[in-house]
Amino acid sequence: MTQKNNKVLVIGGGMGGLRSTLDLAATGRDAILIDKDSSIGGLMTMLDRTFPTNNCDLCTLSSTLSETGRQKHIQLKTLTQLEDLKGEAGNFKVTLKTKPRYIDIDKCTGCGDCYKMFKECVNFSPGLDHRAPTCMRYPQAIPQAFSIDIEKCQDINKISELCQANAIIPDDTEKIEEIEVGSIILASGAELFNPNKLDNFGSGNYPNVVTGLEYERIMSASGPTLGNLERPSDQKKPKRIAWIQCVGSRTNREGENPYCSSVCCMYALKEAIVTKERFQDDIETVIFYMDMRTSGKGYQQYQNRAEDEYGVKFIRSRPHSIIQDTETKNLSLRYTLYDSSKILDEEFDMVVLSTGFCIPDTTKQLLNKLEIDVNEYSFVKTSSFHPVETSKKGIYVCGISESPKDIPETMVQGSAAACLASAYSDITNDNAELEELLPPERNVENEDPAIGVFICDCGNEINDVISVSDIEKYTKDLPNVKISEIVGHGCSSESLKHIQSVIQDQQLNRIVIAACSPRTHSTIFQDAIRKAGLNKYLVEIVNIRDQDAWVHKDQPEKAIKKAKTLIRMAVASVVKRHALIEYVLPVNKDVLVIGGGVSGMNSALLLADYGFKIFLIEQASQLGGVSKRIKRTISGEDVQLYLTDLIEKTVNHDNIEVLTDVSIVDHKGMVGRFTTGVQIKSDSNVRFIEHGVTIIATGAIPGRPKEYLLNEHKAVVTQCELDSVIAEQPESIKKWDNIVMIQCVGSRSEENPGCSRICCQTAIKNALNILEINPDVRIFIIYRDIRTYGFYEDYYRKAREKGVVFLRYEPENKPKVKESGDQILVTFKDLLLDRNVEITADCLALSTGLIAPEEENEKLASVFQLCRTTDGYFLENHIKLRPVDMTARGFLVAGTAHGPKTIRESIAQSQAAAGRAMTFLANKEINLGAGVAIVDGDKCASCLICVRECPYDVPFINADGYSEIDPTNCHGCGICVAACPAKAIQLMQFEDDVILAALSGLIERI
Amino acid sequence: MGNFEPVIVAFCCHYCAYTAADMAGSMRISYPANVKIVRVPCSGRVDTKHILEAFLNGADGVYVAGCLENDCHFKDGNIKAAKRVKYAKKLLDEIGIEPDRLEMVMMSAGMGEHFAQVASEITEKIRKLGPIPIKKH
Amino acid sequence: MITAERKPMEEILDFIKPYNSILLVGCNECVTVCAAGGRKEVGILSSSLKMAFMKEGRTLEVKELTLERQCDPEYVEELANQIDQVDAVLSMACGCGVQEVAQRYPEKMVFPALNTKFMGASESQGVWSERCRGCGDCLLGITGGICPVARCSKRIMNGPCGGSTNGKCEISPDVDCAWYLIWERLKAQGLEDKYEDIIEAKDWRPSWHGGPRTIIREDLSE
Repeated sequence: MTQKNNKVLVIGGGMGGLRSTLDLAATGRDAILIDKDSSIGGLMTMLDRTFPTNNCDLCTLSSTLSETGRQKHIQLKTLTQLEDLKGEAGNFKVTLKTKPRYIDIDKCTGCGDCYKMFKECVNFSPGLDHRAPTCMRYPQAIPQAFSIDIEKCQDINKISELCQANAIIPDDTEKIEEIEVGSIILASGAELFNPNKLDNFGSGNYPNVVTGLEYERIMSASGPTLGNLERPSDQKKPKRIAWIQCVGSRTNREGENPYCSSVCCMYALKEAIVTKERFQDDIETVIFYMDMRTSGKGYQQYQNRAEDEYGVKFIRSRPHSIIQDTETKNLSLRYTLYDSSKILDEEFDMVVLSTGFCIPDTTKQLLNKLEIDVNEYSFVKTSSFHPVETSKKGIYVCGISESPKDIPETMVQGSAAACLASAYSDITNDNAELEELLPPERNVENEDPAIGVFICDCGNEINDVISVSDIEKYTKDLPNVKISEIVGHGCSSESLKHIQSVIQDQQLNRIVIAACSPRTHSTIFQDAIRKAGLNKYLVEIVNIRDQDAWVHKDQPEKAIKKAKTLIRMAVASVVKRHALIEYVLPVNKDVLVIGGGVSGMNSALLLADYGFKIFLIEQASQLGGVSKRIKRTISGEDVQLYLTDLIEKTVNHDNIEVLTDVSIVDHKGMVGRFTTGVQIKSDSNVRFIEHGVTIIATGAIPGRPKEYLLNEHKAVVTQCELDSVIAEQPESIKKWDNIVMIQCVGSRSEENPGCSRICCQTAIKNALNILEINPDVRIFIIYRDIRTYGFYEDYYRKAREKGVVFLRYEPENKPKVKESGDQILVTFKDLLLDRNVEITADCLALSTGLIAPEEENEKLASVFQLCRTTDGYFLENHIKLRPVDMTARGFLVAGTAHGPKTIRESIAQSQAAAGRAMTFLANKEINLGAGVAIVDGDKCASCLICVRECPYDVPFINADGYSEIDPTNCHGCGICVAACPAKAIQLMQFEDDVILAALSGLIERI
Repeated sequence: MGNFEPVIVAFCCHYCAYTAADMAGSMRISYPANVKIVRVPCSGRVDTKHILEAFLNGADGVYVAGCLENDCHFKDGNIKAAKRVKYAKKLLDEIGIEPDRLEMVMMSAGMGEHFAQVASEITEKIRKLGPIPIKKH
Repeated sequence: MITAERKPMEEILDFIKPYNSILLVGCNECVTVCAAGGRKEVGILSSSLKMAFMKEGRTLEVKELTLERQCDPEYVEELANQIDQVDAVLSMACGCGVQEVAQRYPEKMVFPALNTKFMGASESQGVWSERCRGCGDCLLGITGGICPVARCSKRIMNGPCGGSTNGKCEISPDVDCAWYLIWERLKAQGLEDKYEDIIEAKDWRPSWHGGPRTIIREDLSE
């Protein structure tokens, strides 16, 4: 038995670290999240919008962050770094160093008085600080507190006196502590390459040359220009903007990075599209690039849109330099084109440098302390079959510290790392016990309203502007109010206890709390009321701080009047509130994994090791999937050895039941209690399996388009087949003189616009392996863009060094092939020579990539009611933040069923799927909340308006002939409620009578 | 009439406009106290009836505030809200009440300053229009 | 379904001007489905009328009630205990409902709040269009399922006429030529020959040209 120490240490509070932390906490494990900054969120909080949805990040991120603040399993330590590590997996001893913040986070109310008076030395990193690039669109910083820059501070005592909350700690000191943890997740991220050290682009000298991140800030509605697109030199709107790709990446120059940073092509595209979309269409946007590397899911389509719909211009060139016009500050960009030696100069108003990632020195020191292996670029070393495991047992890695990657992949690794790290951590979930301590809920339905109004002074935050005693007096006389009281610091534990005892003593049945925002505090007050024996929905929270005292300081009389109005409205509406039930479902803890390939088996094994019962379904007669046809990975690892071992473990595991030759015929239920009917091909009986979650790992299949004489001539093979030839018939390869490979066969076409992601590296892998066997063979790779993202770029370079010839073709001028005896005559246009070239190839290898199995996926999608992308892959819940969860709750997707990916990426996603599954399975019940739409069947006219109006296709007309809304699928927006012509639908928590009652309190009625 | 203080109701969606209002608070950006916020999960929850009842209950001006286009937490609730507001404006016109007393606005959660600016602009506009001509006095 | 649209507010206000209290009656059938007279519209109209009255310095009392179906006497009976408390009735049903209420309560003025438009289908959310005029002698079996009576502007029986251009009717480029649609449908079914059959002059007697119509089901009627 592994020794377990309950806690997991997560280093770094960016998206990856947050995902890990949240997943750990959701499975009932304790996590300590440390970040060297004063609040968490990482790089993502600086972005304006994210590709490919072009959404504002704040809305998507804030929900993730506030989860962190609430979870009791999470201990957050900001301004903290790891100093030392001792011990081993299961029993690490970690020394942490915390820099002084000079502010007590628990006391700080985030009022900002100190910041206003002493701007020079108070940091408010969520973005009110104009010096930091973090953004103003981020009001929910966690923790919501300031910090003090002591070196800039003249007199800390003055600030101390100013602070009403007594939160300043003038003599705060650096703290060293030693903690014990079972495992560690490294999520330290990376920094962006600093282009100021380049001498050719004028970055740092020319004001109108900015980095991609700076450009994000300029576009951001709350950035330095308030969302107006202005160029730095003269605040004028630029008319022509250029992006230069690969700045600091893909080069051997000293001080720059040879690898590809993987995300810059997409962010440049996004910035260009958003520029067109948000500002003016007539702004010219030009991207200078070497290869457009849009190989993620749906990314190629995004690039096509940029070109076709938005008119973003693409120039394939790596520019030489930028010269600034001293007067106009316009920028002259010097470059040459692929097919000519002519030097071109083009003028732009602004140039954006697409800089990539690199590992900062602070992280290098950290990795040194952890004593884990790194690669030559200081990224953490992992292997294809263990993509989130470091060289040291018990230490896992996620995100950019492992390799350059975008947010979805970071999120996948975050969940995967959490899943693996859990092996050294016990569940400390005490939710169940807590539940049992709660008193039974009092039924108040037939009682006359007895309202208690509690008015918080929020220290003096509210009372300074709005006299709470005035309010108290006023509210006493409002209808149905039984008691009105002031509570100092309403959200403090003493005050909450006091409120509870008053509720019980006075037998109150409706509560109004006049305090701060329900957005941040409703949970606290709801919990308190529930503890007093009332249903937690019998409360109304009135925001007299954020939306009154804080914004009407200059007109206190009006502020008081407004507070009275707001409370009067709440008193009127709270009467209409009813006890609501939250939808909870008992969870069946068994798991159905569909697909017995590498992904499915990995998910199954992980979960089985954690004690869950797994049903692994495979439609073929054997486990293994597509991987059976792959011999080695690009880095040389033996896939077959790995696969044999994996199959053996799966088949012999006590908790796994493998069902092969099986098809799925029936499915019903909801998350936590699904029933799926499966049928074994030789048998006519249907077996029903009950399970709580479902993992879809059905994979993809190698494409086989009828092109280039494939299936017609034996010298034409797919890359997959070539892989087998290399392994099994090396002798035949030794006889070859010429090999031609054609890329993007059946991908990036009209029928299949997506990029297959894996083909570039597969071609290069095969080319390198062939050269090992036959160093004299000439290999020609005819391609459109070479997409060796991340460290795969090294292999691309190696292939060129070894003499592999890379030749580009345009899609409108594809290579032509003709039979020539045993050989193939390939004719194509050499763009450099500008003439047709013929090669007689002994072997023509087609990079056909992966395609979704249309028939099987369509069937699965219809049985399970799952969404798919236009190219037939399964659709995830959120392309950025939830790449593993599917839109149907309780369904997770892993591996190539989600989109083309490498074995390494598939394994990471299957581990993430197992991790996400555990977050569902950790609970006895699943709580779906109360805010759902409920249909009154008697009133329903079955008009279908709700069915058509719902953004999530939830309502349907049931067998009884009226609309039914499954509360477990309802998102609670209320759009159908407002549209229903029969007024047959009500949204719980926001019922019509509650809203109308609030309005009735708008004017004082005497 | 000189010191007329209009009563204004703002239906704010939880995810963007209401958050923006809180943001204005944390940034201490002041705006007229005339605006009273009613929180709804999504601007798409707001019914024409709610808007009319706000006027009937004494509001001189009403606005519905949702997320920016394409940013709605519920996909397109804000677009639906905008259509409903447009419809309600026509209705007001038919009754003989200035449609300008009703507006649809959109903002992101982080636009605290914009929230305050909108609140001020709308308050000023309604102040110029004067009290709604349906008040019982 | 029967479709309808609210009358202009001015016209409705003219009806109820003399009264201080009204009963506003909705119908949970067709007019709910076409978003003209269901509970939601009753609520909106009620608030609107109150506002319009307040604008004149008056108060209007509105009782709101939505019946399952206003064209059936048993449902209309549900108004009996409310009718005495109001000065007049405003019905948000189609013409059938308004008449049913007027007939049952002859002592009260009953006004329509809607203009009944046509028998139609919903094309998409919020869009309804005419499909049937109740001619009493259905032709759809020989016209490829597209009705020239309801959908041809001229109601001609052997179209199209010379005004059909690119599949659209001459009255507006937004209106499909019914006969063009008929031709396309028949062609798709391989029934081009049928199109050549001359439809003889239509007997309009089963339609309203024979006066108001009644249906009697002998096995049901008393």
